[in-house]
Amino acid sequence: MNFDEIEDQDGIRFSWNAWPSSRIEATKTVVPIACLYTALKEREDFAENPIWYEPVTCKAPCRAILNPYCQIDVRSKMWICPFCLQRNAFPPHYKDISNTNLPAELLPKYTTIEYNLNRTAQIPPIFLYVVDTCLDEEDLKALKDSLIVSLSLLPQYAWVGLITYGTMTQVHELGFGDCPKSYVFRGTKEYNAKQIQDMLGISATTVRPGQPQPTGLSANRFLLPVKDCEFVLTSIIENLQRDPWPVANDKRPQRCTGVAMDVAVGLMESTFPNSGARIMLFAGGPATEGPGMVVSTELKEPIRSHHDIERESAKYYKKAIKFYEGLAKRASTNGHAIDIFAGCLDQVGLLEMKCLVNQTGGFMILSDSFNTTIFKQSFQRVFQKDAQGHLQMGFNATLDVQTTRELKVCGLIGQAVSSNKKSTCVGETEIGIGNTSAWKMCSITPKTTVGIYFEVVNQPTAPLAPGSRGLVQFVTHYQHSSGQYRLRVTTVARNFTDGQSPEVATSFDQETAAVLMSRIAVFKADIDDGPDVLRWLDRMLIRLCQRFADYRKDDPQSFRLSENFSIYPQFMFHLRRSQFLQVFNNSPDETAFYRHVLNRENVDSSLIMIQPTLTSYAFDDTPQPVLLDSVSIKPDVILLLDTFFHILIFHGETIAQWRKAGYQEQEGYENFKALLEAPTVDAQDLLIDRFPIPRYIECDQGGSQARFLLSKLNPSTTHASNSPYGAPQGTAIFTDDVSLLVFMEHLRK
Amino acid sequence: PLSPGYGQQQQPGAPQPGQQQPYQAPVANMTNQFSNMGFAGGAQPAGQIQSVSLMGIPPQIQDLYNQPPTINLPPNASITSSPSANSDPSYQRSTINAIPATEALLKKSRLPLALVIAPYRTLKDGDEPVPVVSDTVIARCRRCRTYINPFVTFVEGGQRWKCNMCFLLNEVPSAFDRDAITSQPADRWKRAELNYGCVEFVAPTEYMVRPPQPPAYVFVIDVSYSAVHSGMVATAARTILDSLDRIPNEENRTKVAFITVDSSLHFYNFNSSLTEPQMLLVSEIDDVFLPAPTDLLVNLTESRPVIESFLEKLPDMFKDTTNIKNAAGSALQAAFKLVSISGGKIICLQSTLPNVGTGALKPREDVKLLGTAKETTLLNAASPFYKSFAVDCSRSQVACDMLIFGGQYSDVATLSCLPRYTAGQTYFYPGFNAARTEDALKFAHEFSELLAEQVGMEAVIRIRASKGIRMTSYHGNFFVRSTDLLALPNVPRDQSYCVEVGIEDDIKTSTVCFQTALLHSTCHGERRIRVLTTCLPVTSSMSELYGSVDQYAMATFLANKAVERGLTTKLDDARDAIVNKVVDMLGVYKTHILGSGSGSTPQLTISDNLKLLPALTLGLLKHDGLRQSSQIPTDLRSNAMNLLKTMPVQLLIPYIYPTLYSLHNMPNEAGEVGENGVVLPPRLNLSGEKLEPHGCYLLENGQNIYIWVGRGVVPQLCLDLFDVKSYEGLRGGKITLPSLENPFNQKVNMIIGKIREMRRGNYYPQLYLVKEDGEPALRLWFLSHLIEDRTDNVLSYPQLLQLLKDRVSSGSF
Ligand SMILES: [Zn+2]
Ligand SMILES: [Zn+2]
Repeated sequence: MNFDEIEDQDGIRFSWNAWPSSRIEATKTVVPIACLYTALKEREDFAENPIWYEPVTCKAPCRAILNPYCQIDVRSKMWICPFCLQRNAFPPHYKDISNTNLPAELLPKYTTIEYNLNRTAQIPPIFLYVVDTCLDEEDLKALKDSLIVSLSLLPQYAWVGLITYGTMTQVHELGFGDCPKSYVFRGTKEYNAKQIQDMLGISATTVRPGQPQPTGLSANRFLLPVKDCEFVLTSIIENLQRDPWPVANDKRPQRCTGVAMDVAVGLMESTFPNSGARIMLFAGGPATEGPGMVVSTELKEPIRSHHDIERESAKYYKKAIKFYEGLAKRASTNGHAIDIFAGCLDQVGLLEMKCLVNQTGGFMILSDSFNTTIFKQSFQRVFQKDAQGHLQMGFNATLDVQTTRELKVCGLIGQAVSSNKKSTCVGETEIGIGNTSAWKMCSITPKTTVGIYFEVVNQPTAPLAPGSRGLVQFVTHYQHSSGQYRLRVTTVARNFTDGQSPEVATSFDQETAAVLMSRIAVFKADIDDGPDVLRWLDRMLIRLCQRFADYRKDDPQSFRLSENFSIYPQFMFHLRRSQFLQVFNNSPDETAFYRHVLNRENVDSSLIMIQPTLTSYAFDDTPQPVLLDSVSIKPDVILLLDTFFHILIFHGETIAQWRKAGYQEQEGYENFKALLEAPTVDAQDLLIDRFPIPRYIECDQGGSQARFLLSKLNPSTTHASNSPYGAPQGTAIFTDDVSLLVFMEHLRK
Repeated sequence: PLSPGYGQQQQPGAPQPGQQQPYQAPVANMTNQFSNMGFAGGAQPAGQIQSVSLMGIPPQIQDLYNQPPTINLPPNASITSSPSANSDPSYQRSTINAIPATEALLKKSRLPLALVIAPYRTLKDGDEPVPVVSDTVIARCRRCRTYINPFVTFVEGGQRWKCNMCFLLNEVPSAFDRDAITSQPADRWKRAELNYGCVEFVAPTEYMVRPPQPPAYVFVIDVSYSAVHSGMVATAARTILDSLDRIPNEENRTKVAFITVDSSLHFYNFNSSLTEPQMLLVSEIDDVFLPAPTDLLVNLTESRPVIESFLEKLPDMFKDTTNIKNAAGSALQAAFKLVSISGGKIICLQSTLPNVGTGALKPREDVKLLGTAKETTLLNAASPFYKSFAVDCSRSQVACDMLIFGGQYSDVATLSCLPRYTAGQTYFYPGFNAARTEDALKFAHEFSELLAEQVGMEAVIRIRASKGIRMTSYHGNFFVRSTDLLALPNVPRDQSYCVEVGIEDDIKTSTVCFQTALLHSTCHGERRIRVLTTCLPVTSSMSELYGSVDQYAMATFLANKAVERGLTTKLDDARDAIVNKVVDMLGVYKTHILGSGSGSTPQLTISDNLKLLPALTLGLLKHDGLRQSSQIPTDLRSNAMNLLKTMPVQLLIPYIYPTLYSLHNMPNEAGEVGENGVVLPPRLNLSGEKLEPHGCYLLENGQNIYIWVGRGVVPQLCLDLFDVKSYEGLRGGKITLPSLENPFNQKVNMIIGKIREMRRGNYYPQLYLVKEDGEPALRLWFLSHLIEDRTDNVLSYPQLLQLLKDRVSSGSF
C-alpha cells in the first residue's frame, strides 16, 4: 500500500489500513484506528478544473454526499447511500448519467472533491491587527515595517483594522478623515461585549436625530477594505509611537494584552459575527496588568516557569487561563481566528493564551524580536498566495465526519473546537475533542492537519460479511479567501478483516501511528502529569510489541519486529525525549508553541519534529542520512540537522579549522568549497516551504551553538553506557538520558 | 486728580417731548464719565448735609455718575501728602465714607457697612498704572501683618513705624533709606507704598508655596449635536485660533489642552513632532482616566503648528454628528486631572445640558414654579457635584469658566457653581446661533477678550482692618478657605467682591483703615501682592454718616445681599429686604437728621448723595434677576443674578438703571469725536412718556443695546440709519447696523461703538432693533427696561416713592 499516493489524493493517512472487524479485536491492536487528515490539501486539478455545482446529498438526516463508493443504478437514476443504505434518486439534471458519462464525484480519482458553492461571504476576510507598543524603538520600527508591507500583501478587497495597546488599548478609527483618531480603553479593566459596543459606538443605543445609519456599517469606522484605507492605515502605523507611559527601571512596562484582545474579540463579535476574520496579535512581552496578566510589573518577580506551574505557585496562571479560554470561546463561536506573533526574548504568556490560537485554528509564531528573520518571513508567509493569487487560508470552516455504522468517531486532536454534533457516528470512547462528529475551525490552511480517532463498535456476535468495507466521509465547509464558500469532501474506504489476519499487521502505517500517538500523548500531557504520560506511552509500546513482535518468552535476543513496525519504537524513544514531553528544558511558552506546531502538521513534518533528521556531508561521498546519534559526529564531516524548528549546520573539528583558515577561498580547494556549500544549499531547500521559519544555526564542533545538536543526539556514548561496539568513536555526551540501545533492551524484556 | 473725573455735570433735566433739545453741557469730561466713577474731588462741601426732596420729581439722572461723597480725612492723616494715599474707589470703596465710632451708632443709623472691591480691575486708556515696589522689601506689621501704607506713622526719628491697624511699633527696613544694591542713599518718602493706596509688591520667595506656575488653559468644548449645529464649535475654534497670540504667553511657558465632549471624551495629542493632532477618544465616562501621560497639555509655543492644525480641523471634525449627549462633568474631571498638578484654568463651552456621566443633570425647569416661592429651588444647584468639584478645583488652584450656550434649558444655576467657587466667570448665550452674525460676533468678541485676559493666578485675598472692625461676610466668586482667607485660583480682571463689615469695639481713633491684600502670580510668572488701603474718618454724627453714604456702593451691596437672600430663602424676601433697607434709611434720615418725628409728612427727603438710591432700588426690583414675574426663564434669571453679584460698580449701575438716549433729535456734537472721544447724547429718564411715535431711541445696559423705532418714524430716518426704505420694511431682532454714507448713520455707529468699549469687562453688548408695534415679546422686553413706568405690574417710580413715604410714615425709627 502506498501511503504517499493516498496522501497525495486524499490528504489522509491512517494508522491502520485494514480494520479488525470487531470491537474486541480492534482493542487488541493497541494503536487506535485513526487518521491524519489535511482537509484542504492542495490539488492542482481542483484549481484547473473547478467543480461549479452543488453536491448531491442523501436524504435527511443522513445528508451524506454522493461519492465514488456509492452504488448507482444508471437506469433507474438511483443511488444507494453507503452510510444509511437509503436509496436516493439523482436530481433531474443528472438525467443523462450513464456508466460512461459519470459526474466527477463518482469517478475514482474524486474520492476527494471540492465543490464551489454558489454562495459568497457577505464580507471579505477581515484582518484585525492587535499591536503591542511597549517595544523598544528598533523593534517597533521593524514591526511597523512588517505591518505596512503586509497591507500590500493583503488582497485589496480584504478588510483591515488596527488596535494598539500598551498601558491602554486603542482602537483606531480608519474612516475619520480629519486626524488620526482612536478609542482608548483602560488597561486594567475587563469589559464585557456590551460595554465594548457602547464605548465604540457600534451599538444601536446612540440616539440619532438625523437619518439612522444602517447597522453593521457603523463598524466601518474601524474595519475597512484595504483599498479604501491603505493610505490612512499606513500613515497611522508609520506614526505609531512607543507606549508613552513611563516605566521605572525596576519595572516591566504596563501591558494590557488581555484588554486588547478582549476589545478585539468584542469588536469583531458585535460587528461581524460568523464572518471570516483573523485577529492577529503582535505581542512584544507579557501581559502585566488587567485581565489576562501573567506576571506583575515588578521585574524582581520572574515570569512563571514549568516548576512554578507544577508547584502551583504561578500566581496569575489559573486566572489568566480562565480569562483567555473565555475569549477563545467567544472568538470561536463567532468564527474568528486568532493568531499570536510573539517577538520577545522572554515569554509573553503564550501558555496562557494558547487556547486563543489552538481553538480557532490561528497561527502561532515565536521569535526573539520583531526584528528577526523568523518573525519577518514567517509573518509574510501567512500571506502567501496560491497560483490563482488567493491567500492560502480558508475561514470559518466546519469539518463533519460520517462513518458507516461499524465505526464511530472518538474525537479529534488538532486546532479546532467541537461543534457539539451528537450524531449517530459519535462513539463512546473519547479521544481528544470528542462527543461530537463535527468540529469548527475558524481558520484552515492547505497544511492544517487534524488527527481523527475512531473505534470499531461491531460486536463479534454480528460478524461482517467477508470483504466488507468501512467508510468514512469528511466534509469540510469553509469560506475561501476569495469570499466564496466551498465544500471539500473526502470519502475513504478500508477493508474490515478478521482480527487475527496478518492483513491487519501489514496495513500498519508506523509513521502515521507514531504521529497519532504523539498527539494523544501531548493532549494528555496538557492535562496530566508528565511522568504519567511517559508511563502510558511505554505501556502502549510494550502492548503493541507484545501483540505484533515475534519473540520467545524470556529470551530478549529472539525479539523481532516486522519491517513496518521496526522503527516505531525509535519514534517512541525520541518522542519520550522530545521537547513535547520533556518540558523542563524549555519555557512554558516554548512548550505551548512546540505542541501547537505538532498539532497542525502532517505526518512527514511531525516525524521530523519527533525524530530530527541528520545528514552527513563528507569528501568523496554523497550526503547521507546518519543516525541521530553521537557516533555521527566526526571531525571531517559536516552535519545538517533538521528538527523542524531548527536547521543547524555543524562543522566537524577539522572542517571548522579549515574553514577558519579560509581554504575554501583558495585555488585548488574547490572541492572543500563545494563541500561547505552543499549543506547550505540543502538547508535553503528545507526553508522554502517551512512554516514557521525555523531558526537557522551554523556552528562548529566545540562551539557554544553546538549544544543544539548535542541535545538532540542519542547519547550512545554517555559515560554511563558501555558501547557494545567497543571504543566509542563519537563525542561523549554527558547526560542521564537512557540511550536508544538501553531503551530497546528494556523494551525487549 | 490722577485722571479727569466727571465732576462736570451734565445738562440737567430731561428733554421735553416733541421739541429739539438743545445741547448745552460742556462735553469735555463727559466721555470719561464711565471710566472712573467717583475719583477724587468732593461733590459737596464737607461737613454739610444737603437734603433733597424726592416726591414729584423724576430721578435726577443727570447726577447718576456723580462721585461719592468726599472722604473727609483729618489733616495729616497720611504721612505723605499724596493725593493717591487712599485707594481709588474703582478698586475699593465703602458703602459709607465715614465709619461710626460705635456699633450702637451703626445700628441706629440702619446703614449697611460694607466694602466693594474690584482689586484686579483692568486699566483703560488714561488710567494710572498700579505702582510697583520691585525691590522685594516688604514692610509689614509684626503682629497684625498689615502692609506698610500711607497711613502709618514714623516715630523715634523715623527708626520705627507705628502700625495704623494695631498700633504696634515696627522697625523701618534699612532699605527704606539706603538702596541695598547701589548702596546709595534712598528717599523713603518716594516709596510707592507710602504714597499710594493701591500698590503692588513684587513678592520674594517666602510668598510662594512653589514657583509661579505657567498659565495653563484646558478647553472643554461640547461637540454634541446642538453645539455643532448651533455653530458654537466652529466659532469657538475660529476664535481660539485667532486669539492664540492674545493668550498670555510672554515667557513662552503657557500650556494648553483641549477636550471635546459628547457622550465620550476626546483628548488630543499635540506632541510637537506631529503635523496633525491625534484624537484619543475615551468612552468610559463613569470612571474617567487620561488616555496618555504626556502630550495632552502642551506648551503653546512649541506645539503651535499642531494646535493650529487642530483648530482648523475642529469645525469639521464633528460636522456630521448626531450625538445628543454630553458628559461635561466627566470631561471636567478629566480636565482637572490634566491641570491639577500645576493649576490653571478650565474653560468649558457648554451647549447641551450635561446628560450623561458624572454630574449629569435633568431638564428640571417647571414654568409653574416661576414667580412662586419655589422658584428658588430652580435657582440653586441641582447636583452637589458641581460645588464639590469646584472646591477640589480651588484646592488645586484650578479655576473654571463656563460659557453656556442655551438652545434649551441649560441649568445655568447649577453650572455656574463652578465659576462661583473657583473665582471663574460665567457667560451665557441663550438661543445661540452662529448663523446669525450678531451671535457669532458677540461670542467671538467676549471669548477672545476672556482668552486675552491678563489673569492673576494662585491667589488669595485677605482683608485687614483697624482694631475694633471685623469682616463679617463675603460675597463673590471665590472659596472662603479659612475664616478670612479667600481663595481664588485665578483672578479675573473685572470682578467685584463685596465684604460686610461689623464694628466690635468702640473706635477711639479719628480714622480707621481697611487693607486688602491680593497675593497672586501674574500670568508672566511673577509673584506679587497688590495692596489696597482705604482710610476713612470716624464719626459720631448721624448726619455725617448719611452725608458720607456712597449710593453706588450701597446699591452694589443691596444687589449682592438681595441675590443672596433670593437664593437662600425666596425672591419675595429679597425684594422686601431691599425696600425695607431703603425705608430704614429714609426713616432714620427723617427722624434723626430732619428731626421731623413720626407721622405723615407731605415730603420724602434724603440727603443729596443718596437721592438716586430709590431709583437704583427700583432698578433692582425690576431687574431680571429679582423682578416679580412668572415669565423669566430660570436660566436668564440665574445669569442675571450672577451678573449682579460679580459686576464691578461701573458696569453694575447701568445694568440696574439702563441708559436711554434719543437719537432722532440728538445734538450735533453727539456721535462726533470730541476732545475726549466720542460724545454721547444726553441721557433720558427711563419712562415711556419720553418715547415719541416718530422717534428713534437707543437704550443700553452694558449687556444689550436696543434701538427703538416709533411707528411714526420718517422714512428718511429708516433709510439713513438702516438702509431700509420705510418703517414697514424694518425687521426687529438682533441686527448689525449697516455702515452708510450719511452723518446720522455714522454718528449712531460711533455711539454704539463707544458704548461697546467704554466700560470694563469682556462684555460685548448685542444690538437689537425694536419696533414699536413689532414682535410683542421683544417690545415688552425693551419696555421692561423703562423702569420708571409701571411695568409688568410692578410699581412705577412715583408709586415706589409713595410706598416708601407711606412706610416711612408708619414706621418707627
Ligand atoms: Zn445516507
Ligand atoms: Zn499691626
